[in-house]
Amino acid sequence: MTPQKQAKPILLFNDECTVCRHIAHWVQRSAQSKSGETSILVQPIGDDPGRLRSLNPNLDIWDAYETIHVLMPDGSMKLGGEAVAETLRNLPNTKWFAWSFATTIFGFRPFQVMLNVAYAILADVRPLFGCESCGKPRVLRPIHWVTKWARNLFAGAPHKSPSPHFSLSSAARRRPLAVSVAPVPQSSHS
Amino acid sequence: MDNETLGRSSRKTSMESLSRDKIQTVTSGTFTQLVLEAEGPIAVEFMSYGCAHCRAIEPVLEQVAEMVKTQEKIFRVNIAVEQELAGSYQIQGTPSLIMFLDGNEVGRVEGPSPTVSSVLTAVTQPFESGAEANG
Repeated sequence: MTPQKQAKPILLFNDECTVCRHIAHWVQRSAQSKSGETSILVQPIGDDPGRLRSLNPNLDIWDAYETIHVLMPDGSMKLGGEAVAETLRNLPNTKWFAWSFATTIFGFRPFQVMLNVAYAILADVRPLFGCESCGKPRVLRPIHWVTKWARNLFAGAPHKSPSPHFSLSSAARRRPLAVSVAPVPQSSHS
Repeated sequence: MDNETLGRSSRKTSMESLSRDKIQTVTSGTFTQLVLEAEGPIAVEFMSYGCAHCRAIEPVLEQVAEMVKTQEKIFRVNIAVEQELAGSYQIQGTPSLIMFLDGNEVGRVEGPSPTVSSVLTAVTQPFESGAEANG
């Protein structure tokens, strides 16, 4: 399968995750110039593994939900902190400082490493900010339980899950972005 | 190694197997033909690609599907797409496994532990108890 030709980088985001949706919303707004041009396309990952493979044959839908991906026009992919840096490089408001992530000191990219760590922490704490489907990081479970208990206390009905390996299906009910995301290209696969 | 660690490590080591769907996805259009009108034991996983627990169980379920392939079929339903189908089976969350025998639901397990023994028990036990009841 040959990947679809694209002129701009594509940022894929988890539309079942509140934090990811808010960040995607911000990127979408920031990427738009006054003339309406966008420097980076923002797309939800969606539910079709075949459509993602048509964008890039090496793109796995499970991986896409696990880690942020930016699909580059040359067919390569950037993941995690590298994807965040690439996104910032493509936004008019942030590209002035995004050069720092490529800065090398004795073969080491200190700012990129810091960004990778920051991304890893954010990705790990997503469940605390409303991503029920993202799982529960073990080290943060006590905090998660307290947050959940407090939420139930103030929100009313208790939030029971029959198993620690179970996500309540509210995660699958999508809330659309306030700003519409870029249209999903129709794949040519059958 | 606990279950979660097992799930996390197994998903890292089996990315290749995950990358090409080994478990057939059924839709509302094919559900009747492939599940309700089919003969024999069938397990259906109601899942969502955005669900971390589904991701953890996926390589395990594929392994189990390979182990039981001569006796049982395993399918997948994506509840983010098939919301009506999920609603008709009162799916509260993911992953949920529903076992069908000759089109009738004979058991269900919500959020099985992502270990081979747990998933294997979940997808085979309802049929064994059904066979004992019939015998």
